[in-house]
Amino acid sequence: MIQVVRVGTKIGTDVRGQSCFTEIRNLGIRSIIDVKTARVYRLEGIEPDDASELAENLFADQLTQSFTVNYPLIKNAARLIEVAYKPGVMNPEAASIMKAAHNLGIDLDAVDSSTEYGFFGTPPDEDIQFICDRLLVVSKTVERIVIEPPTSLIISGKRGPITIIPIRRMSDEELMGLSKKREWHLDLEEMQILQAHAREIGRDLTDGEGETYAQTWSEHCSHKTFRARLIVNGVEKKPLIARIKGTVEKFGEGVLSAFDDNAGVIDFFAGQGLCGKVETHNSPCALEPYGGAMTGTGGVLRDIFGDGQGAKPIASTDIFCFAPPDLDPEKLPAGCLSPHYLLRRVVAGVRDYGNRMGVPTNNGSVHFHEDFRAKPTVIVGAYGIIPVDKCQKGKPRPGDRIVVIGGRTGRDGIHGATFSSGEMTDQTAQVNASAVQIGNAIEEKRAGDAILRCRDEGLIRAITDCGAGGFSSAIGEMGSETGVHVTLERAPTKYPGMSPDEIWISESQERMILAAAEKDVPRVLEICCSLNVEATALGVFTNTGRLVVMYENETLCDLSMDFLHHGLPQRVLNANWVRPEFEEPGIPVPSDWRETCRQILSHLNVCSKEPIVRMYDHSVQGTNALAPFSGVDHDGPNDAVVLTPILGKNYGVIISHGLNPILNLIDPYWGSVWAAIEALANFVAVGGDPREARLIDNFIWPYPDEQELGALDRSVDACVDVAEAFRIPYISGKDSLSSTYRGKDGTVIKIPPVLCISVFGKIRDVRKTISADFKEKGSAIMQVGLRKPEMAGSVYYDLHGIVGNNLPKINLKETVKTFKKLHRLIARGAILSCHDISEGGLFTTLAEMCFGGGMGASLELGYAREEKERIDFRLFNETAGGFLVEVRDMDVFEIQSSGIPAEEIGRTIASEVISVHNRGHVFRADLDELKEAWQKPMKEVFH
Amino acid sequence: MRPNICILRTDGTNCDPETANAFLKAGGNPELVHINQLRSGTRRLRSYQILAIPGGFSYGDDVASGKILAIELISFLHDELQEFVDAGKLVIGICNGFQVLVQSGLLPLNTIRIRYATLEINDSGKFECRWIKLITEKGSPCVFTRGYDSEITLPVAHGEGSFLVNTRWPEIGENKNCVALRYSEGGQPADFYPANPNGSLYSIAGVCDPSGRIFGLMPHPERFVEFSQFDNWRRESIAKPHGLQMFENAVNFAVDL
Repeated sequence: MIQVVRVGTKIGTDVRGQSCFTEIRNLGIRSIIDVKTARVYRLEGIEPDDASELAENLFADQLTQSFTVNYPLIKNAARLIEVAYKPGVMNPEAASIMKAAHNLGIDLDAVDSSTEYGFFGTPPDEDIQFICDRLLVVSKTVERIVIEPPTSLIISGKRGPITIIPIRRMSDEELMGLSKKREWHLDLEEMQILQAHAREIGRDLTDGEGETYAQTWSEHCSHKTFRARLIVNGVEKKPLIARIKGTVEKFGEGVLSAFDDNAGVIDFFAGQGLCGKVETHNSPCALEPYGGAMTGTGGVLRDIFGDGQGAKPIASTDIFCFAPPDLDPEKLPAGCLSPHYLLRRVVAGVRDYGNRMGVPTNNGSVHFHEDFRAKPTVIVGAYGIIPVDKCQKGKPRPGDRIVVIGGRTGRDGIHGATFSSGEMTDQTAQVNASAVQIGNAIEEKRAGDAILRCRDEGLIRAITDCGAGGFSSAIGEMGSETGVHVTLERAPTKYPGMSPDEIWISESQERMILAAAEKDVPRVLEICCSLNVEATALGVFTNTGRLVVMYENETLCDLSMDFLHHGLPQRVLNANWVRPEFEEPGIPVPSDWRETCRQILSHLNVCSKEPIVRMYDHSVQGTNALAPFSGVDHDGPNDAVVLTPILGKNYGVIISHGLNPILNLIDPYWGSVWAAIEALANFVAVGGDPREARLIDNFIWPYPDEQELGALDRSVDACVDVAEAFRIPYISGKDSLSSTYRGKDGTVIKIPPVLCISVFGKIRDVRKTISADFKEKGSAIMQVGLRKPEMAGSVYYDLHGIVGNNLPKINLKETVKTFKKLHRLIARGAILSCHDISEGGLFTTLAEMCFGGGMGASLELGYAREEKERIDFRLFNETAGGFLVEVRDMDVFEIQSSGIPAEEIGRTIASEVISVHNRGHVFRADLDELKEAWQKPMKEVFH
Repeated sequence: MRPNICILRTDGTNCDPETANAFLKAGGNPELVHINQLRSGTRRLRSYQILAIPGGFSYGDDVASGKILAIELISFLHDELQEFVDAGKLVIGICNGFQVLVQSGLLPLNTIRIRYATLEINDSGKFECRWIKLITEKGSPCVFTRGYDSEITLPVAHGEGSFLVNTRWPEIGENKNCVALRYSEGGQPADFYPANPNGSLYSIAGVCDPSGRIFGLMPHPERFVEFSQFDNWRRESIAKPHGLQMFENAVNFAVDL
């Protein structure tokens, strides 16, 4: 018998109902005049009396809420719609309710919670349907509209058998059919290798074995393109990954771990190391942005927990690329979600996961270009701290135990790895519904706490997270040099009835695998138990070199580790980039300067992203020494975040990033140089020493055909050239090469190639870092760094609908010199404030410094320049690697004569205006109106 | 002697290290104690002089923020908690910890299980992470807010901080001096967004029980006990980080317990 408790608002505002009503109005629906909501709790195994007691003491707030038991709560609504999790989806609230009920002396057999919406007015069916699709069922993969109330909440099921795939006698056509049907995304050559292997060992493969190969050999897990032999315009070049790793071999000083663990580790202070890892989560977010962003954040944080012998996360970052939120719906390809919806839901996912984890999200950006409608780019980074003596994993030894800790295994997230390696089509949304899931941050938080305890007691030999490929990848990788024997039926599952191959490849979140000596296992289990974390010994490391997985004495897998990890031959790929030509007509100098300035500041790639940042808890852990925003009204943006991960000490870590997808469309070499220089400029602008910067690369590319592979080749060369110029290494990186959309009607849309460079590094004393807001009235404003009127790809050109060809070609040698000098000036206190010049140009940089400082500026651009230079190009050029700095008069001469490009261009003033002169008045604009234009776009999206 | 502080943690607690750091800096002896240790008896509340419930998302904010932990405290640990409070010891709840104290009835009137107030979803409907200004209430018996004469600034970071009270509040709450902190602007209580970041009634940011020894607040004083934690330390000179005094007050009071 199920008792149903409904809880609704008695006093105060029904916030959920009101926000739903507002969204309905935003959708343009006028048939509904009010929305009321109720929480619904279904309780199994108790009598109505007990349900009343729980309603009173647990579910309803005595002051503000009313409740009913087995009786409707919302009365007289035109329509009642109940939204619940699908059966089998783990409702994170259920465990808490069971626990609290038990504390109150009532034991439940099962519980579920859902939300009921009452719509008032005269809504026609199609309005209700539209609301359900767009607002109520936010993640179709995990939620549903309740039509028939359930008769029991207890899930039962009978597991499927282990099946044999007759691969040995399949034709090529059948092989490809198999790959497609099972969503393996392996090509014919790879399927043939698998077939040949089966013939060689004289037996067919089990479903579990086939799945293990598909997961391990997926582009997502094995990065086949980056490891491939690359023929560029007929000439073989070093594999992409080898070029990037080469930077560590050359400039690896202070690097404790690079490219061979879950995250890279660099030396910090006080016996600690810093870890960095940046991931993408594009495919899941394209389908189900909220769940995708949550699992993306959860996944990259697990990379930190799973680094070395376990690290503590200290920061997370998020960088997104979307189509403009107001994209014409006609332009949206079939099967793709609206960018407005994607942006809001991705932000909500990062917010809800990161905040619950207690990890500050404090560096990020959002970029817009229409072609991201093909697939959004969602980049999530995580940083951590780890004792130096724990930053290397041990090698599992035969006899060591395999322990799974954290969440249970369910049917969710099956085929995430192979799915992420495929292109987006109009069918992707339907076919891959099971590949996305929702996260449970609290599960991960307590598992993380347990890991750090185990680490501190020296109980962890090796650890890794269960990400793409689930157990199959995590255990397969960890035991690759020894062999493993897994007793799979021991794995705790969310419900009965999962077949062995499902358990083996499920990507259920919040699970970690660790290797522990047999004698340490009891203590590991004890620690986990004391923190409410489930932990189970799943198997043992062997010395057989084989991956053996048993399920109730049946063999699911018996594979050679050697063939699994080395059986895939290196690919040979051709690359050939052809330079595209864009139009670059002349444009007039603005007639209405103030309007142009407002347009620049309200451009999506320039405008303030503060409403997003305010929803992330960026001050948790108490480590922020430079916040994302500061200044008189706390709304002036800074270039990077500075953290003090050891409370009470002034040791700092600086984190920044850079990217410019639009420039990559014109020339991926110079676009990528721009991205890396921008990331480093952000690092230096706040006080970082460029010699301490360490780099992380993320390539998010269209499907690599010859043209795109050629573009990738140029981008990687640029990455390496910048690293060589600064003599600093890459310590981690990742690629995702599937951001092309193919529609049934032949439509092909490629995203602009994204290279995101993340930078992190240490600084001994955070008191030597600076912010971007102007500090004093009457200071000198100086421009530092080389600038040329190279306008292609700029926001200014975009206002005219132009892309252009003449893109910024940054002089690396000069830039290195400038950065080093600027760093020394900041370190000795000569710079009051500093802000780098990027999208929106010098004018935007100046405006942002004024907003933060609550004061104006007067520019005189004519001092040192030739008259023929266009003032609009001067103000809006976006060459990276330049800065505006605020200095006292007495320091101007020193900076001017320091051998780097530096000139005084104006002064800070008390009146809140920006006035620009070029040997004569050009224009003058009020800060208020500029700030309003700059803040408006994101306020409108996140009202 | 350094007083012992029980920093209570459970599933989803996440501000425990910085809260411990703040008490340590104030001269206390903080210990992170998991509620399972209290339940199993390996730790006893009576060994501590201060109970601090830090911020975070205890049990994922399931059902309502702070609810599940509050039930655990007032069911399983009811007697120990009552004894602790009756002994005149100090209790502070920050953010989620404040929600726990309100859900349990300890705040505002120290009436376990009987509720006079609640903390609702922010009026903006959103999580808000920002620096805000606060004034302390003159004549408040609150131990923690002693000695704060001028407007201070602290960060808030919460989605459910709108303090809402029973209709009898003016007669019971205000008369018993339960208000300890209010959101402010220019030294005056602020009833507008974002100075009042959540829409709290009467701009209430923190309350204490009539004895002044049980205190809860939405802002995070533990995030401003070092100079570098302030977002504007580069432009405003500060004599002492604004959150530190609250922890020092508690430690100084508890020394005599």
